[in-house]
Amino acid sequence: MNRTIRKLFSNTSSLVGIVLLFIFIIIAVFAPVIAPPLSDDPYQIPRMSWDIPPQPPGFLMSDNIRDIYVVMGTEIKWDKAICGTAEGGYDIFYGLIWGTRTAFRIGLITVAFAALIGVFIGSISAYFGGWIDEILMRITDIFLSFPFLVAAMVLTTILGRGLDKVMIALITFGWMGYARLIRGSILLAKEEIYVMAAKALGVKDVKIIWKHLLPNTIFPVMVQATMNIGSMVITAAALSFLGVGAPVGYADWGQMVSFARNWIIGSPGHAGQYWYTVFYPGIFIVLFVLAWNLVGDTLRDILDPRLRGEL
Amino acid sequence: MINDRKLLLAVKDLKTYFFTEDGVVKAVDGVDFEVYQGETLGIVGESGCGKSVTAFSILRLLDYPGKTVGGEVIFKGENLLKKTEDEMRGIRGKEIAIIFQEPMTALNPVLTIGFQIAEALMMHFEISKKEALKKSVELLKKVGIPIPEQRVNEYPHQLSGGMRQRAMIAMAMSCDPILLIADEPTTALDVTIQAQILDLMMALLREFDGSLIMITHDLGVIAEIADRIAIMYAGKVVEYADKKTIFHHPLHPYTLGLLTSIPRLDVEMKRLNVIPGIVPNPLHFPSGCKFNPRCQFATDRCKKEEPSLIKIEEGHLVRCWNVDKVVKEVKKGFLVGV
Amino acid sequence: MANSLLQVKNLVKFFPIKKGVFRKTVGWIQAVDDVSFEIYEGETLGLVGESGCGKTTTALSILRLEKPTKGQVVFEGRDITKMKKSDMRKERKNMQIIFQDPYSSLDPRMKIKNIIAEGMLTHNILKNTQERYKKVGELLERVGIPAGYMDRFPHEFSGGQRQRIGIARALALEPKIIMCDEPVSALDVSIRSQIINLLKDLQEEYSLTYLFIAHDLSVIKYISDRVVVMYLGKIVEIADKKEFFNDTLHPYAQALISAVPVPNPDYKKERIILQGDVPSPANPPKGCRFHPRCSKIMKICSEIEPKLIEIKEGHFVACHLYDKTLK
Repeated sequence: MNRTIRKLFSNTSSLVGIVLLFIFIIIAVFAPVIAPPLSDDPYQIPRMSWDIPPQPPGFLMSDNIRDIYVVMGTEIKWDKAICGTAEGGYDIFYGLIWGTRTAFRIGLITVAFAALIGVFIGSISAYFGGWIDEILMRITDIFLSFPFLVAAMVLTTILGRGLDKVMIALITFGWMGYARLIRGSILLAKEEIYVMAAKALGVKDVKIIWKHLLPNTIFPVMVQATMNIGSMVITAAALSFLGVGAPVGYADWGQMVSFARNWIIGSPGHAGQYWYTVFYPGIFIVLFVLAWNLVGDTLRDILDPRLRGEL
Repeated sequence: MINDRKLLLAVKDLKTYFFTEDGVVKAVDGVDFEVYQGETLGIVGESGCGKSVTAFSILRLLDYPGKTVGGEVIFKGENLLKKTEDEMRGIRGKEIAIIFQEPMTALNPVLTIGFQIAEALMMHFEISKKEALKKSVELLKKVGIPIPEQRVNEYPHQLSGGMRQRAMIAMAMSCDPILLIADEPTTALDVTIQAQILDLMMALLREFDGSLIMITHDLGVIAEIADRIAIMYAGKVVEYADKKTIFHHPLHPYTLGLLTSIPRLDVEMKRLNVIPGIVPNPLHFPSGCKFNPRCQFATDRCKKEEPSLIKIEEGHLVRCWNVDKVVKEVKKGFLVGV
Repeated sequence: MANSLLQVKNLVKFFPIKKGVFRKTVGWIQAVDDVSFEIYEGETLGLVGESGCGKTTTALSILRLEKPTKGQVVFEGRDITKMKKSDMRKERKNMQIIFQDPYSSLDPRMKIKNIIAEGMLTHNILKNTQERYKKVGELLERVGIPAGYMDRFPHEFSGGQRQRIGIARALALEPKIIMCDEPVSALDVSIRSQIINLLKDLQEEYSLTYLFIAHDLSVIKYISDRVVVMYLGKIVEIADKKEFFNDTLHPYAQALISAVPVPNPDYKKERIILQGDVPSPANPPKGCRFHPRCSKIMKICSEIEPKLIEIKEGHFVACHLYDKTLK
């Protein structure tokens, strides 16, 4: 364990990844402080104006919105759109900050459940073999034959709008890689003598999988999961961009990029006028995925020498 | 010279170290022995004693982080350690050949047996591929592989362990080397196959008066085929004498320990002697005599000063401060239960 | 006359050879073919043979770590081959095994105290954690490892020490019989006697019965009370140790003994060099499986398989040479 931690910090790219992740964690944890919510639902991005076109950075809250807050009796803790507004007056900065929480939620939850399902199916398949293995692997193949993005889109369309539906879709079509991965590892590990030794002691099968096989095979799955967190977030963002996914005005980076859909080119005579609608959410997505990828990459490099028997 | 035989190979104070991340591993740290024409030298030792590294050092087959840092390897009057890589290539396979323990890893799995033998022939002699393959068949027959014309086109995985080792011997002997180094050639084989292979090796060597360095941990095999024996421990030769002396009048406590701790068919043993402790880690060798933590005769001097290899009697060298104590033990009759 | 603790009756273990896309069974590896013998309480039965003879498969089949194809194993009067899985699990307390490879027989991610305690945990022996680890400490000391090392991991130990840990694990359940599958083959020569002596001492102390498997006849001679020789899935000879080495009957056993190198330069022995290789267990020779390599072959040997017959008291051999019914 100590060696892992040491290696994580020794490598430049890994260090960059860790620092980025750390920054994102700080943002997520301190979101209420950095961007205080102006309504009861903190995930509802506050609007700075009723205008459709995006407003540039520095835009001040328009008077008609201000009046609504006064009438409702809500304290206006801040009123400047530091990064500008997206289509419909939604404050970009606020969306970025609270979108960080959403990103973590999506990434961690979908990967956790997908990995759990995948590991469960894959280990049962590998340990018991025979027709159980055949059936489970065919099911895995069937799920794998659906193109991921398309399948996720179809499922969310059926299930309806909402981030939780997006997560269900991502989990449903995201577990197969883990199943295959753990199955391969367990097929190898179950031939180890210490597994036979456990059987000779009378240890029950489930216990053997849980205590002997999984601890020795879970590490590649963890690496894969780390790398996947980024891609889950991107896929969720893509789904939001396409219009399925987060409800309108929800603090989600993908949502925010979708607000920029009509404004990417800019207006006639002013190309790139609304750059901030794409740039800010875009850069957050890129950096978030990059961070997880760098950390995952380093974990994989640490794993390799272990495989060669250094442990 | 011994018995009017020519001195073929003399290894003097050979030192080969491995410069690793974790420190310097002195794998071979002072090895001396001689091999005479037509004779078999047995090098006996356990894992980590440096016997394989010695063999590789002689043939200069070592790569980074291993490096031969001292000593001489005089072969036919010339120091091999001073030769160029080109010159060594001319010697390897042609004058000095080596066979390994695991034929499956030493043989190329994607090339036929015949081709691998022919390759060695074509490397050292000016003959065509056709002629070389014909000679391969002859060699396979010589090493006792049945239907050699068929086998010559087969791949290593199609042969059994014993067959593969015979093929390796064919490869090694193909260019009529004057010295054969065999690194644990029969350790991975069944005992009846081992008997066949040892028989074969001795017959081939007798045929053209070649010499053999046999590296093994098996004292039984050594008793059968060696003329002189070097016992290695922790990178050094600790005892060096002819076969009868080693088995009947050993002087080093390690040799004595080995002889009395192995079960054997010829003597009824009531209790096996035990050498306590474990083989030392080359990164953390004990100070003084490397064997002292496990030695029943160890004194304070042994813990501080490392003994040198000293000639105790003609043809018998020992590295130990307490030879006289060992002699007493041997006189008592050192095989328990005899 | 000691009690018969374990009886193996007509044990058969074949492994299917599967080929092709549809995994059709195209043949069988006849690893163990109709093997029968008894193990008496308190004895060490030495099971010897070369690679492919089926000795390890026999031991694993007895313990049902491999599922026997046919045959019966009776332990203390109970047929363990037909038992339900849950009953067999309880039976395992009585029958333990020590493996050949000290490097892969211990879970690299478990502390050795847990490796040794696992059996006790499984069978609810010594439920109190403190008591359990106290026993682990005692076992470790008994096999020659300081109890204070119990929180360490396998990779921190040498091969010999790991083998001791494996022995402690087997002892933890207080078994009646232990299968020792080549327990010293993978160890350095100077360490072997430590482990052999330890096993001998433990046998006396805990009244254990051993099935000791080895390919090294020298070790078998030292430690066994009786010897069983296997060749290509069959038993060819069974005898008391002294009787076996004084009057070896089967030609294969004779060749095996003559092939063993003895660390004595003056030792004279009859040189019997066998021709050829051991045939494949997937395609054993007809009749007597040893006949293609036998120097004393008769016509009947290639046609009819010899039965294991008791020639003298306690001395069995499967060879037509000794079959007095043949005329």
